[in-house]
Amino acid sequence: MSTVWTLYRASLKEFVRDRAALFWTLAFPILFIVMFGIIFKAGSTTYNIGIVNSDGGSVGLGLMQTFKDSKSGDSNVFNVQTYSTQDEAVGALKAGKQDLVLVLPASLSETATSPQPATVDVFYDPSHSASAQIELGLVQGVITQYAAQHLQSVPKLSAVPQSIQTHNLSAIDFLVPGILAMSLMQLGLFGTAPALVSLRQDGVLRRLGATPLPRWMLLASQVLLRLTIGLTQTAFIIGLGVAAFDMHVEGNWLALLGLVLLGAVAFIGMGYLIASFARSVESASGITSAVNFPMMFLSGIFFPIASLAGVPVLAIIIKILPLTYLGDALRQITVQGAPDFPLALDIGVLAAWAIVCGLLSARLFKWE
Amino acid sequence: MGSEANVIVADGLRKYYGKTHAVDGISLAVRHGEIFGMLGPNGAGKSTTIEMLEGLRTPDAGSVEILGLRQPRDATAIKRRIGIQLQTTALYPRLSVTEILDLFHTFYRGHPTLPTDDLIRLVDLDEKRETRSKQLSGGQKQRLSVALALVNDPEIVFLDEPTTGLDPQARRQLWDVIRALRGRGKTILLTTHYLEEAEQLCDRVAIVDHGKIIEQGAPSELIQRYFQEIAIQFQDGHGGSDAYTRLPGVAHAAAEDGLVTVYSADVPRTMAALLERETSGEGKLRDLSVRSATLEDVFLKLTGRALRD
Ligand SMILES: Nc1ncnc2c1ncn2[C@@H]1O[C@H](COP(=O)(O)OP(=O)(O)OP(=O)(O)O)[C@@H](O)[C@H]1O
Ligand SMILES: [Mg+2]
Repeated sequence: MSTVWTLYRASLKEFVRDRAALFWTLAFPILFIVMFGIIFKAGSTTYNIGIVNSDGGSVGLGLMQTFKDSKSGDSNVFNVQTYSTQDEAVGALKAGKQDLVLVLPASLSETATSPQPATVDVFYDPSHSASAQIELGLVQGVITQYAAQHLQSVPKLSAVPQSIQTHNLSAIDFLVPGILAMSLMQLGLFGTAPALVSLRQDGVLRRLGATPLPRWMLLASQVLLRLTIGLTQTAFIIGLGVAAFDMHVEGNWLALLGLVLLGAVAFIGMGYLIASFARSVESASGITSAVNFPMMFLSGIFFPIASLAGVPVLAIIIKILPLTYLGDALRQITVQGAPDFPLALDIGVLAAWAIVCGLLSARLFKWE
Repeated sequence: MGSEANVIVADGLRKYYGKTHAVDGISLAVRHGEIFGMLGPNGAGKSTTIEMLEGLRTPDAGSVEILGLRQPRDATAIKRRIGIQLQTTALYPRLSVTEILDLFHTFYRGHPTLPTDDLIRLVDLDEKRETRSKQLSGGQKQRLSVALALVNDPEIVFLDEPTTGLDPQARRQLWDVIRALRGRGKTILLTTHYLEEAEQLCDRVAIVDHGKIIEQGAPSELIQRYFQEIAIQFQDGHGGSDAYTRLPGVAHAAAEDGLVTVYSADVPRTMAALLERETSGEGKLRDLSVRSATLEDVFLKLTGRALRD
């Protein structure tokens, strides 16, 4: 085992001394978070919201006004239109004229100022909106803020989203687990396949093969190295999400650790499989990119998969790709996101990918 | 010398790459404690042969026995006891000389190894010990890769063109290292395409061409076997050696690119005839030299080609 350890330390030194590789491993996911974070924080988009105000009191009017006044920079966040009935408003939502419909029930003002919890309904159509989670998060935010400012004694006013979704996430809460999943995937793919092929192409594997070093030790040290990098990335990404963008981490750290390791192993396995087929570093990079892009955009790490699942072919692809399950599981564990799949299924699918890729590459990987 | 003194025994080795007969029936036996050289031009099959002996390539036919163990069955046991230098060695580019040597030490746990410091001194890399391998010069890399072959204090050292790319001084220095290894009872098998190296360093040489051993023996013995004559060499613009074989005292003549080599058993008579040809305008005698035969001459005679560095 100490041989594995020395070999691991040697590879780690190699990696850390490759400043460019080190920089991109950490900078790329951070770049993503900052980019998305700024986009969503700036909220340059205006959302169409239909409001049905059945409440005759001050709370209803106050909320309406708050939505109208919500600003992000100089522009309004919401374009508010009022409807007289719920049916009319939901019709407009279905027709795609509105992104969201907020229904303020009769006697809202009384309940909101009484000790009982008061709720308002938010209707949305997940299949029409690519960013429903984000919008719901915004609405929730506005209402909570209103409640905090105007109903101090009774901060019990909340929005109930009327959809399959059960838990609302802010944009960043939604994105950070996705970006974490993405960087674990890219670690497994870009960090593994071209690196291994280059070890083979340069003849390093060959030279090590001329010593009595058992191959599994070399393999173990390589996997350990990638896992170390994966955990470092995880710490960076979540740390940045929490520190700079108010991400709300609610999950169990141990479960997160286990999941990060499982996800990393699954994608490292995929990287090994690619390295088994690729003849040159260039072709390894090419195959890796070809696998990377569809996964990045068809796995619901940036958009809720509900918004992609409308197209039948996509729906099938989404359900095959391991990144879908890693993103879903990470979202459930880190920010208690609404599950697309049961956690056990996520873990099962990832483990299956890890085992299949591992076994296949054990058979197919060529050392020379 | 009994067969138990043979530490490397190869029999009928063959390796074909498509239509290329890289190794085409090579058998050899290397004795304990000798420096055995495989001499041949580019593409002769030296690397293919040495790597089949090391167990890095699988022969299409034939058998290999190293230290009484069989390839490929005992490959791991063999690797513990031999040292391998590959013709091109890739190393971890960002690790230093010391770090790479230390790393290789861990591959031989439970086996006696030579300390990193001694190895560095042996190949004269003291000044470069903390330098990363990608910043070493070609010759320094070559010496590092020789040092790597010695980490486990091996009984047999396989060196594939160890001195290629070294300057003459470094080459001689490495010869001393190799001789010192022999002095400590090690067996060395090396490949080279330097005739001088084969002649001065090796106890026995196998001349390899087109995947076959065409002759083997001690360098002096080979020269003796083929040449009792003295070589007379000169430039003759005409080319062709036929005209010279008929001159008095000439046993054999060869010509390549206008350079004629005449092997004479009676130098005064042959010289007289050559001078006569020049005076009469039949031939030229530019850059004339007279020397005793070398392995180069043996190679030329056996293959009809000169072996160039
Ligand atoms: N892996 C391979 N695939 C195809 N052909 C090969 C392979 N290895 C060697 N050959 C061919 O086999 C022949 C012998 O090659 P080898 O490397 O053994 O020669 P060598 O004597 O070591 O030459 P050099 O002095 O250039 O190192 C060459 O014609 C070479 O092209
Ligand atoms: Mg060679």
